[in-house]
Amino acid sequence: MVGGGVIQQILRRKLHSQSVVTPVRSWLSSKKAHEEAGSSGVRALALLGAGVTGLLSFSTVASADEAEHGLECPDYPWPHEGILSSYDHASIRRGHQVYQQVCASCHSMSLISYRDLVGVAYTEEEAKAMAAEIEVVDGPNDEGEMFTRPGKLSDRLPQPYANESAARFANGGAYPPDLSLITKARHNGQNYVFALLTGYRDPPAGISIREGLHYNPYFPGGAIAMPKMLNDEAVEYEDGVPATEAQMGKDVVSFLSWAAEPEMEERKLMGFKWIFLLSLALLQAAYYRRLRWSVLKSRKLVLDVVN
Amino acid sequence: MVADEEAVDQKKYLEESCKPKCVKPLLEYQACVKRIQDDDSGHKHCTGQYFDYWHCVDKCVGPKLFAKLK
Repeated sequence: MVGGGVIQQILRRKLHSQSVVTPVRSWLSSKKAHEEAGSSGVRALALLGAGVTGLLSFSTVASADEAEHGLECPDYPWPHEGILSSYDHASIRRGHQVYQQVCASCHSMSLISYRDLVGVAYTEEEAKAMAAEIEVVDGPNDEGEMFTRPGKLSDRLPQPYANESAARFANGGAYPPDLSLITKARHNGQNYVFALLTGYRDPPAGISIREGLHYNPYFPGGAIAMPKMLNDEAVEYEDGVPATEAQMGKDVVSFLSWAAEPEMEERKLMGFKWIFLLSLALLQAAYYRRLRWSVLKSRKLVLDVVN
Repeated sequence: MVADEEAVDQKKYLEESCKPKCVKPLLEYQACVKRIQDDDSGHKHCTGQYFDYWHCVDKCVGPKLFAKLK
């Protein structure tokens, strides 16, 4: 939409500087072109005119797709954004609480295990206690039967539905996606998820959403199956932080960011270290290369013409 | 100890305070609403103006919101 407007502006300026384009085009259509030296220049202008028309019409068509792409989400200043910034682990802990109490009834996170949370959001004892609260199917035992047992650290986070069909059946045909990688699986994922969760609003005039769907301007198409889930005080945080909608949104997205990129902190440290070391190595290599080549580069060639 | 139960949602508060900055797109939206009020075809809508307004508000709220959150 914006790109189309920019293209239009550039083309308009171009048109103004070549103000003869439009009259030339109509002149062309009413008269045959000469066969003189000027005809190639005129033909070039005609081609330019055709190109301009094509570009202009393309840009206006593209701007009609706003709702289809969803409202562009703003960039929020995430605390873990910087080149050497770590996650806010208190936020991850709160975010996991939000996930567990608000989201886990519909969304699975089947790539995360309880042991992944140890040292990130919970102590080992806390994580073990959390795992023990769930029932896990295991087996077969010595008698060949499957049995249930309390969860262990090595178990994955529980899935709300047995399979995708069950999930769709329980949610009016819509599949609540697995959230393990969601911030990497959506364009501008962190900002998108936060904007989506906190962006439920009344639809614009003239838009009506059918029963069963809800309006969200950030969702492509505008009609999302998930209702607004983050409401003030929906969760009571252990650390006493007021659980407003925006706070829960920030915390849950911090948790989801960690879930999708648990290696981020180590990656940033490694990146910083190796980029620094390789820069030094580059300087050393450049010096050594120039040192060795200096012999050849400081040669003098004498052209001795004897004639 | 009386706990402060009335924690106001920071995002809503900032969106309200950013309204004055985005008066122009808001007025455009309201003008559009008025224009399509009498339309019964169901094809007219104000998504464009709505998006322009909320994009303006989002750009205003974005840099400020996290400073208010823990």
